[in-house]
Amino acid sequence: MITQALIIWLLPLLAFTIQIFVGKRLPRKGDWVSVSAIGISFMLSIMLMIQMFMAYDPEFAVTAAMPWIETGNFAIPLGIRLDNLAIIMLMVVTTVSFLVHVYSMGYMAGDQYYNRFFAYLSLFSFSMLGLVLWDNLFGIYMMWELVGICSYLLIGFYFTKDSAANAGKKAFITNRIGDFGFLIGLLIVFTTIGSFNFSAIHEGVSSGLLSGGLLTAAGVLLFAGAVGKSAQFPLHVWLPDAMEGPTPVSALIHAATMVAAGVYLMARLSFMLSFDAMLVVAYIGGFTAIFAATIAITQNDIKRVLAYSTVSQLGYMIMALGVGSYMAGFFHLVTHAMFKAGLFLGSGSVIHAMHHSMHKLHLHEDPNDLRLMGGFKSKMPVTYATFLIFTLALSGIPFFSGFLSKDAILGGTLAFAMSQHNPIHFLLPVFGFTAAMITAFYMFRLVIRTFYGKPVRPEIYEHIHESPKQMTVPLMVLAALSIFIVYTLPSFNPTGAAGGWFDHLIQHPHSAVSAQLGHDVLHIDHETEHLAHISGIIISILVAGLGILLAFFIYYWKKADHTRIAQSIRPLYLLSFNKYYFDEIYQATFVRGLLAWNDLLNWFDAKIIDGIVNLSATVTRVFSAVSGLFDLHIVDGLVNGLANVTSLFGNGLRKIQTGQVQNYILGALLGTVLIIIISLI
Amino acid sequence: MNNLESLQFFIPELFLTAGLLVTIIVELLLKKEQKVFTAYLAATVLLITIFFLIRQYAIEPAALFGGMVVIDPMAVFFKILTAVSTLIIVFFSIPSFRVKAEYYVLLLATTLGMMLMAQVNDLLMIILAMELVGLVSYVLAGYRRSDPKSGEASLKYILFGAASTGIMAFGFSYIYGLTGQTNLFEIQQALQSTQHNPVILFVAFVLIIAGLGYKIAMVPFHFWLPDVYEGAPTPVTAFFSVGPKAAGMAVLIRFIISIVAGVSADGQTFTANAPIHAQELLAVLAVLTMTLGNLSALQQKNIKRMMAYSSIAHAGYMLMALAVFTSQSVEAVMFYLVVYMFMNFGAFWVIHRMTPHLGSEEITAYTGLGYRAPLVAVAMGVFMFSLTGLPPLAGFIGKFYLFAAVIKAEWYILAVLGVLNSVVSLYYYAYVTKVMFLNRGDDESAVSISSYDTALLLVFLIPTLVLGVYWVPVISWATQSLHFFLG
Amino acid sequence: MEINEMLFLAIALTTVLSALIVALSKKIIYSAFALLLTLIGFAGLFIYLSADFLSMAQIMIYVGGILILILFGVLMTQRIYDPSQITAHNSIWVSLAGGIAMAAITGAVVWLNPWGKTLAKDFEYSTSRIGSELLTKYLLPFEVISVLLLAVLIGAVYLGRSREVHK
Repeated sequence: MITQALIIWLLPLLAFTIQIFVGKRLPRKGDWVSVSAIGISFMLSIMLMIQMFMAYDPEFAVTAAMPWIETGNFAIPLGIRLDNLAIIMLMVVTTVSFLVHVYSMGYMAGDQYYNRFFAYLSLFSFSMLGLVLWDNLFGIYMMWELVGICSYLLIGFYFTKDSAANAGKKAFITNRIGDFGFLIGLLIVFTTIGSFNFSAIHEGVSSGLLSGGLLTAAGVLLFAGAVGKSAQFPLHVWLPDAMEGPTPVSALIHAATMVAAGVYLMARLSFMLSFDAMLVVAYIGGFTAIFAATIAITQNDIKRVLAYSTVSQLGYMIMALGVGSYMAGFFHLVTHAMFKAGLFLGSGSVIHAMHHSMHKLHLHEDPNDLRLMGGFKSKMPVTYATFLIFTLALSGIPFFSGFLSKDAILGGTLAFAMSQHNPIHFLLPVFGFTAAMITAFYMFRLVIRTFYGKPVRPEIYEHIHESPKQMTVPLMVLAALSIFIVYTLPSFNPTGAAGGWFDHLIQHPHSAVSAQLGHDVLHIDHETEHLAHISGIIISILVAGLGILLAFFIYYWKKADHTRIAQSIRPLYLLSFNKYYFDEIYQATFVRGLLAWNDLLNWFDAKIIDGIVNLSATVTRVFSAVSGLFDLHIVDGLVNGLANVTSLFGNGLRKIQTGQVQNYILGALLGTVLIIIISLI
Repeated sequence: MNNLESLQFFIPELFLTAGLLVTIIVELLLKKEQKVFTAYLAATVLLITIFFLIRQYAIEPAALFGGMVVIDPMAVFFKILTAVSTLIIVFFSIPSFRVKAEYYVLLLATTLGMMLMAQVNDLLMIILAMELVGLVSYVLAGYRRSDPKSGEASLKYILFGAASTGIMAFGFSYIYGLTGQTNLFEIQQALQSTQHNPVILFVAFVLIIAGLGYKIAMVPFHFWLPDVYEGAPTPVTAFFSVGPKAAGMAVLIRFIISIVAGVSADGQTFTANAPIHAQELLAVLAVLTMTLGNLSALQQKNIKRMMAYSSIAHAGYMLMALAVFTSQSVEAVMFYLVVYMFMNFGAFWVIHRMTPHLGSEEITAYTGLGYRAPLVAVAMGVFMFSLTGLPPLAGFIGKFYLFAAVIKAEWYILAVLGVLNSVVSLYYYAYVTKVMFLNRGDDESAVSISSYDTALLLVFLIPTLVLGVYWVPVISWATQSLHFFLG
Repeated sequence: MEINEMLFLAIALTTVLSALIVALSKKIIYSAFALLLTLIGFAGLFIYLSADFLSMAQIMIYVGGILILILFGVLMTQRIYDPSQITAHNSIWVSLAGGIAMAAITGAVVWLNPWGKTLAKDFEYSTSRIGSELLTKYLLPFEVISVLLLAVLIGAVYLGRSREVHK
């Protein structure tokens, strides 16, 4: 099994190397190298999956390690851990990645840097798979950053577009801010426990090597990494901009894999979260869920709606991990990966069609704009049908996968709130249910405006065609994977995952924090859980139905004019439309702050130095007049003394700005004096 | 050990001096077009010196020449490091300094100075060794005869250097006045045996730090650096950024462990020796150094100037680790210097070889380089990301050790500030990669580079990549070198 | 006040005042001559420290050698005084503050510590001792200095020649 896992991991790396060095010279620019590499990885993942089913054991895990770095106080084995979590995640990554590879053959055809695109995709797959497989935080951190670099390259792939290049940089830097926390958390874990290995960390935390405030700090800091990568509030700003990249990239990275890395990390680390750290995680996640959903309502770019929806759904997953619903959070990751990848590829199909139509008509408008679409149902039947399935899944309608996982999360938050004495924690389920309603609303708004009704622009509509097979087949596969039954077998119950294989195989790992404290970090009794689950199902069906109804009410039956509604709540509308002005706030604070520093330095150069010079001249004149002792002669002489000495050996003064070096030396002297004075006071 | 007995442990230095003299004589015999031969001669001399140095690991730690210098693994480490860095610089310089034989003689002389700095054990020798490095550096900075910027850099360097050395010497005179000794161990004994006024000790310490800080570009003694780095010929700038800095670190480390804090019994921590807040002072200065370096680098448009500020920032990271005074932190600094040598030389090599093609040292001149010279641009990207500290590159491992040492010593705030700084640094390093790969320039003609350029580029690129995934040999080398002669 | 102390004060005062002139004088030639006095003053101070050899070396090397060189330099440099060539300078007040603070700090340090257990030794000639110590205890520094001088010589020759070529 380990060999299989290694092959799965390393094949994309091999493909990357081939592509980079000889890709251009291969037939078809070598796309088949990358596609077949990930294809084989995909097959092998299926085999791993089958082996997992044969074992059908929640505790199933295979680990292997060989020495890698070993010095006196530092040992990192080259270790791989294959447990149910890792295998399912491998499956998700290879499935989506493989489909996206296939899809890209159609979507990117004819691009100037076709082979380079596939090289980046392969490198990305390699780093993402590595992130899943490593059994230690150090390896994960390495892959984590590599994933970041790949996404930087892929988002900025359309580098001729300035916005794309900037979006790539923004994603990279925002991620690094989160990684700053990750790195410090990593260092705290390492310096206290002395190992990066998950099992060693588990033991270390259980035995109290890392405890109290430092444990909470480590948990929260590691979570900061996930906040960056999974685009949680307040580092969510990069994800919508990342939509500037090619659509397959959005599907691969920004729907299914990279953004899920943060969730996966938190799932891996959930055993070491203290109660306070869990609260932080839960509230950040819950707030992100509702916050991003409210933005998605007003966006007009089809991909941006999906981007904010992704942020919101990631918030759900994070919230689930925060309230201790380990299985629910990871479950939602899996189901969401499938239907959200489908939604992105579906939107890609629409954009592709729009693009071609506009190209024929020589129109230069935004092919992503919802307001130019409408009535595509009959022109693109496959895209429409699959898109509808994904939408239903995302909205949490029974019989689709999304319902199972979302319901599990909502039930989990409800159970968490009910088990706590503090009623304020009911905020979490409130966030969850409200966001669920909004989700249903904006998704149907999207579907209705794209596929239903009359064409807004008949001339564009005329030239819309269904996309080629490379693009529609992946959609159909993903649609099939969004049906509930895929996840509930051997049970056929459409209302809950309980009894299904997923529920059986993914169980909460024993909390090391509980072991350390001697009692459960979070205790939820069975009855509460049951009650929460039942009420969760009822409420979530109600809110989803309400959301859908509202969308049809406004956009399909046009019972209310949406522009008028927007007008009547204009301040709120603007707030949402402008994404709560977050980019502007960051621009005003951080970016402006740095610019201000630059200005300050320039100003210092221009004003202070000059000013001092001027001032000293003025003061000198007054001074010389008053005292008569120091005439201008002497004062100037003092100032010029060094300059004169340096001119002695014939170096022309014009060539040398000696004035500056005087300033430098004075600066050093003043520095010394200040250090002494400040220290002694 | 007396002078005569000491000679047998001084073979590398003696050989280097002899080689220096031979190079001078050989130079006189060569015709102008043959003078590049002196470069190869200098390289050979350095290579043999390094060979002798490696053999010195077998020697038991001892004080030589009546305590003027010591020999211990730490000294050998820094001697090898500085000799290797000069060796690389010789090859670095060959394309631009083909007929300037004196240049290589001067490089050898600085190497001797740096090797002495690695093993000094006497206040007098500290000044002498630093002056040997300093005086020759002034000449090297002004080596580009036709470039007024080069002369200006030299003059600024000389004036600033003289002032700093003066301040340091004044600090030494306090120490001498208090203890009556110039030997570091005897000073340590004297400080332990009698109680001295902590204010005086502190003032002396600050004055000495001013001189040492100038060598390693510590704020507020860094003023000279950007102008000198920008003005000096690029090979010389690259040379300044590693060798003399490493030697300065060596003196600082030795000074700290001999005088300010002695090594404790377990050899893991350093116990306070002089009752002054040296750690706190160094920590504050480290934070100032890296913050100022990084924030100033953000606004630079000239890539050499940006690298100058980046080198200030890197001095800050190393100082940060030194401030916690544990053997782990010293080890981290030693490791970092090795890594820094490769990535920094690599970046300067790209700058050096690309400037004639691009016609400018502005960062914007690198626009679209990824499509004109892919290998060079990829290598530059690797160096930039490594300098930021992104895994899986060598720079990350180096930073990891630095931060780990600081966190281990429970200086959390210092570590947080350090990591924050490395996040800021991403911005300007990534900018270089961004213009190279994500923007297209007007000129799209391919830039061809010679096989010599490529070979040297690989010499820097491969360690930067390999040390990011397998660094055991280097870290074990640093650990083994962590033995001090303790009097 | 003994004659001894009066003489010391006189020498010290001369040294400081002439140093001030070096720094403050606008005419470089005045500075150069004032430097002569400063250096001689130092030689005098060295005698007070029982450093007879150092004092003589100071006069021979600095006064007799370096200063003459400086004077030659001054005399051969054109446009010694031309205010338009000064491009930037420090603020007098900031410099003054820095200088005074530095003086205060060093003064405080001198004040704080009982430095001078006065050497109640008889005067002895230091020349022979310096000679033998240079070749025994200080042999290494002595040799290092010789390498240093060689390197500096080469550097100076290079830079000097380069200017010739440049012109």
